[in-house]
Parts: sequence; structure tokens; C-alpha cells
Amino acid sequence: MTSTYWESTQRKFWTFTKQQLALERKKIEEAERNLVNLYPLPDKRHLSIYFYHQLSKMARPLGIRQQALATAQVYVRRFYTKVEIRRTNPALVLATALYLACKMEECPQHIRMVLAEARHCWDTSFNDISKIGECEFTLISEMNSQLIIHHPYRSLAELQTHFQLTQEENALAWSIINDHYLTDLPLLLSPHEIAITAIFLAVVLKPTQGGLQVNAAGVANALQALGNARATNGQGTQNRVQKLVDWMAESNIDIECVVECTQELISLYEIWENYTDKACKEPIAKFVKARGLDK
Amino acid sequence: MFTGYNTKKRVNERYKIVGFISSGTYGRVYKAMGKNGRTGEFAIKKFKPDKEGELQYSGISQSAIREMALCTELAHPNVVHTVEIILEEKCIFIVFEYAEHDLLQIIHHHNQPPRQAIPARTIKSILHQLLLGLVYLHRNWVMHRDLKPANIMVTSKGKVKIGDLGLARLFYKPLHSLFTGDKVVVTIWYRAPELLLGSRHYTPAVDLWAVGCIFAELLSLRPIFKGEEAKMDNKKQVPFQRNQMQKIVEIMGMPSKDRWPLLTSMPEYGQLSSLAAGNARFHRPQGLENWYQMCLKNNQYPPAGSSPENPGSEGFSLLQQLLEYDPQKRLTAEQALQHPYFSVHGKPSENCFEDSKINYPIRRVSQEDNDIRTSSLPGTKRSGLPDDSLIGRPAKRLKEV
Repeated sequence: MTSTYWESTQRKFWTFTKQQLALERKKIEEAERNLVNLYPLPDKRHLSIYFYHQLSKMARPLGIRQQALATAQVYVRRFYTKVEIRRTNPALVLATALYLACKMEECPQHIRMVLAEARHCWDTSFNDISKIGECEFTLISEMNSQLIIHHPYRSLAELQTHFQLTQEENALAWSIINDHYLTDLPLLLSPHEIAITAIFLAVVLKPTQGGLQVNAAGVANALQALGNARATNGQGTQNRVQKLVDWMAESNIDIECVVECTQELISLYEIWENYTDKACKEPIAKFVKARGLDK
Repeated sequence: MFTGYNTKKRVNERYKIVGFISSGTYGRVYKAMGKNGRTGEFAIKKFKPDKEGELQYSGISQSAIREMALCTELAHPNVVHTVEIILEEKCIFIVFEYAEHDLLQIIHHHNQPPRQAIPARTIKSILHQLLLGLVYLHRNWVMHRDLKPANIMVTSKGKVKIGDLGLARLFYKPLHSLFTGDKVVVTIWYRAPELLLGSRHYTPAVDLWAVGCIFAELLSLRPIFKGEEAKMDNKKQVPFQRNQMQKIVEIMGMPSKDRWPLLTSMPEYGQLSSLAAGNARFHRPQGLENWYQMCLKNNQYPPAGSSPENPGSEGFSLLQQLLEYDPQKRLTAEQALQHPYFSVHGKPSENCFEDSKINYPIRRVSQEDNDIRTSSLPGTKRSGLPDDSLIGRPAKRLKEV
């Protein structure tokens, strides 16, 4: 880790405890009690999956890289910790977050291209780049211009040689990092804590056997393996897992973070198994139409 | 309602504009006083919209986004402090701490009759503080890319502050080669040889070349390599900066493959040999050491010896290692700070004006345009001072492509 993250606005202003995050969200809900009651929405984790699907749909035809997509996901998550979703047009917020993230990650897209893709993948009537331009002001202002995101991908790249990850393991760790953006983890843990969890899971899950499909049961087993490694402490039964555990102890990484992170992922994979876009699309469309937020 | 952007802060409620400082490709800079409980002086940079007189939101330029993000993230005593960023009705304002001076203005003052050299102690303190700021930027993976005297601020208390992060970029794992995006960076006189030779993968070493040029300019009061910029041709091809390269070679001599192993793989390497043809000065360059000795003599620094009033042989050694052709051999900012130049006569002062009897004039501001909100065409030079207050400065930078 470089010193960069420790003094970053990400750590200082955008990393919360679970309690803090719950409190922030409760505050917004309380302030918008009427709206919240009038327009029920599915579980937040379902919405995260839906947003991810929508962002990917916009990003794919434009050839936008994963890291810019990840940055956009973090922007959306930050934004909705400060602004009640029912006061916004999510289609516009997502398109704008993607547009802004591409500039920040040095792969800029023309605003017209982003608008075209947004129109293509949402049944939406906003048809003017000035809408995205204006929403950009709102996003930046809500985030206090704190736009630099430290991603676990860099930590993964730094650590992969240290732990001698195979190509498959590295790919699996990478895809686990991709998945964590669908949870609150980017607002809860540091990038290197996420990276080490992803590495740990990749090593335990043995990607050559399971392919790159991660599921809840598999991750739950991995958690078991972590518990064993801690208990046997230096028995050398599971060499690489042990090495990871030792390394975490040496580098003062709280192993509870890894456990917490793993559990969050388990619950994501559980929910994902029964998820459908429809359950999110309709309630969102309802409040957007009813409130004229797409005008 | 979320039907529009609601300004939370208004620039005119928080600041009183007292004058206009300068304008450039990015927009305009104003001097302001705090208002409604806010005290002190500030410099407010107003970005111009992409198109002049833009009445609609059209998306913020990538360089403005970069500058906003970096200014928010960075905090160091030798980097200009960002007080706040105000987004108000289609306009972006970055509010900075105010600095009374900058190096361009200080150099200019010393050039005025009776021409007098900048005291050696002042130069040492300036350079030391500049490098401290640069170490911080580079440790945080930020390349400045546009260091030049006009961008180095100095407060009335003698604190040096690196300013204008408008071209700065994060250099870890760039998604695209850093060459794409902005085709040309760094004001030509301070541009590193690897950039002149078309390098696509340049490094923070470009900032250290610029520091070397600034060091030389502080000593001699003139830009050391004062080339003429070749303009972009109609095909938007970036031309080889022949004249600038010539200026460097006339003093430094031709770069060689022995000293700079990757020289021959530079895209414009072929241009280099054509440069030498028929120019006698290439075979008998002045040499940096001669340049240095001439410079100290012309500017009447007291005789060398062990006096802190003379930049001495350590000064030459530092300059030589900053103006190293091979970017891999050039000193890093950290190495430069460790150079004996900074320890030979005790620690450099934290106030570059300490023991100096020179009174520098305060920054000129123009009164012609004091309305930051409505000034009709931001970024146009309708009034006020030109981009840089010395005539004959080259154009700052080409617009991003």
C-alpha cells in the first residue's frame, strides 16, 4: 500500500461503519417518509444488482473498461447515501455517474454517446445532453468533488506475485472484486482488505475446478477453511491459506474484516440466485413516471 | 425536486471580487476577499465553458474534472491550498489561498533596472520548497506536467506553493497510454527532451527537467532554453519542436546513445541527426558548466568559495543532474532533495525571503472586470493583463484534443 489511500478523501469521508451507514440512510428515509411509503422499493441489494446490470448494458457497447464501471458504481452508491432515490431519476443518475467515471479513469466518452446508450437501455424520455451535464453538477456537488477512487484492483496487482497466484486464481480474485461493487463493501472496507479477501477466496475456491462461477455455498465453505486455518495456526496443512493468514497478521489486517467481507459476498450470491430485473424495473418506473422525474 | 441542480453555495455571497488577475485557455483568475465571516484573500479560478457563451450544461471538460478532483485530494504546505470548489449555475469556481507573488514576477522584478541577481539563499530556499512539494505530488502519483515560473506561487511570507494542476495527472496504471488525451504538455521552454523526441511513455522525470530549467532561470534571470514553438499544422499533426531541441543541444551538446541507451527508440530520433547537419555549434556546444560559470559571472554573484552567497559547485552539480538527458538517470525529486547543495551551508530557510532586503511589488490586479458571475465572455482577453506578464512568453499549451 502506498501512503496515498491513508490520506485520501475516500478513507476520510467515504468509509463508514455499518452503523454509520445505516444511520445515514435512515436519516434520508425519515426526511422523505411520505415518498418512501408511497413508493415501496425492493431490497437495496436488489437495486444494486439492477443498477449494475443497467450500467453494464450502457458500458458494453461503448467498450468502457471495468475500472470505470466500478468507479461509476461507487459514485452511485455514494450519491444515494446522501440523496433519497425517489427524488431522482435513476436512469439519469447512472448515465451521469458513468460519464463522469470515464473522465476520471482516463477513458472519456462523448456525452452524446452516453446519452444515446442511456436512451437505448432505459425506456426514458430524457433526450438532452444538458440533463446529463446538469446532473453532473449535482453528483460532483454531493460528493464534494471527491472523485478519486482507490480500487482493490491495484492492491490485487501488487499482491498477486507475493502469493504466487495462478492465472485462474488471479482471474477469480478479479471477478470477486468486480462483484463486491454490488454490495456496501466499497463504503465499509479499505481496498486492500477487499483485495486480500478476494485473493483468499480465489485460493480456497480453486477456480480450475469450479470455473469462475462463485456461489454462496462455495464461499461459505471457504469461510470454514479460514476458521480452520486460524485454529490450526502454523500446522502447515493448508500451506497457502496459512500463508495468507500469517501475512494478514503481520500486516495488521483485521481478519474480522475478511470474515465480514466474505459474509457480505455470501449474502450477495444468495440474493443473486433469485433475482430478476423486473422486480426493480417496475417500481422504479412507477415513481419516476408518477413524479415526472424523467421530464 | 430533482428537476435541476440547486446551487448550495454562491460565490458572490461568500467572496468580494477585488480584481482580475489573469486569463488563459482554462478561464480567468480573480483576486477576492472573504465575506460574511470569511477572512483573508483568495484567488478564484473560474473555468470557462467548453463553448463561449454556453447557456446550457454541456458536460465538464476532462481537464477541469481532473483539476477539481486533484485539488480536493491534495494537501501539502508547498502545494497551493484549495479552499473550496463552488458549482454555481453552469459555472465552476475553484477558490485557492492567495499568493502575492510567483516566480515569473520575481524573475521579472530582478530584470528591472538596476538589474540584480536573485540572492543565492533565496534561490536555494525556493528550490528546496519546490522539491518538497514535488516529492509530495509524485508520492501521490501525481505528475504536474506544466511546471514553469508562472505556476510557482510565493506567498508574502516566503512560502513556495506549486500551483495550476490543470494539466496534472495520476500516473499509476493509466488505462490508456499517457500520450493519448492531451497531445502536448508543458510549456515548450521547460519541456523535457524525451517529450520533444516524441516519447509516449513519459514519467514524473518530465517535472524534474522543468525544475532544472527553473533553477537555471532563477540564476540567470532568463529562460535557459528559449526556443520558438513550432505550431500545429493543418493536419493536426504534432510537429517536431526543432528549434527548442536546438536550443538545448547548443548548450548541452548532442545526447548520445552511451549516456541515454533508449535514445534511439525515441519516435523523433531521426530528426536529431538532421538537426546537427551544418550547424557548427552542435559540435562545439557551450557546455553546461561554461554556461553556469558565465551566468554567475554576468549576474555578479560574489566569488565562489565557501560563501552561501554563491550557488557554488554544488549548485552546478545539482543543475547538471536535473538537466540529464536520460529520464532514467535524471534525479528524482527525492534524490534532488538529498543533494549536497541543500546541506552545504546548513538547512535552507523555510522562508525564501529570509535575510533578503528586496521588496517585491505586490501582484497587479486589474479593475476592469470585477463581476465574476456575469463577465460576458469568460476566458477571452477582453481586458486585463495578458496570460503572462512578460511579453514574448510562448503560448502556454495547446488545447486538449
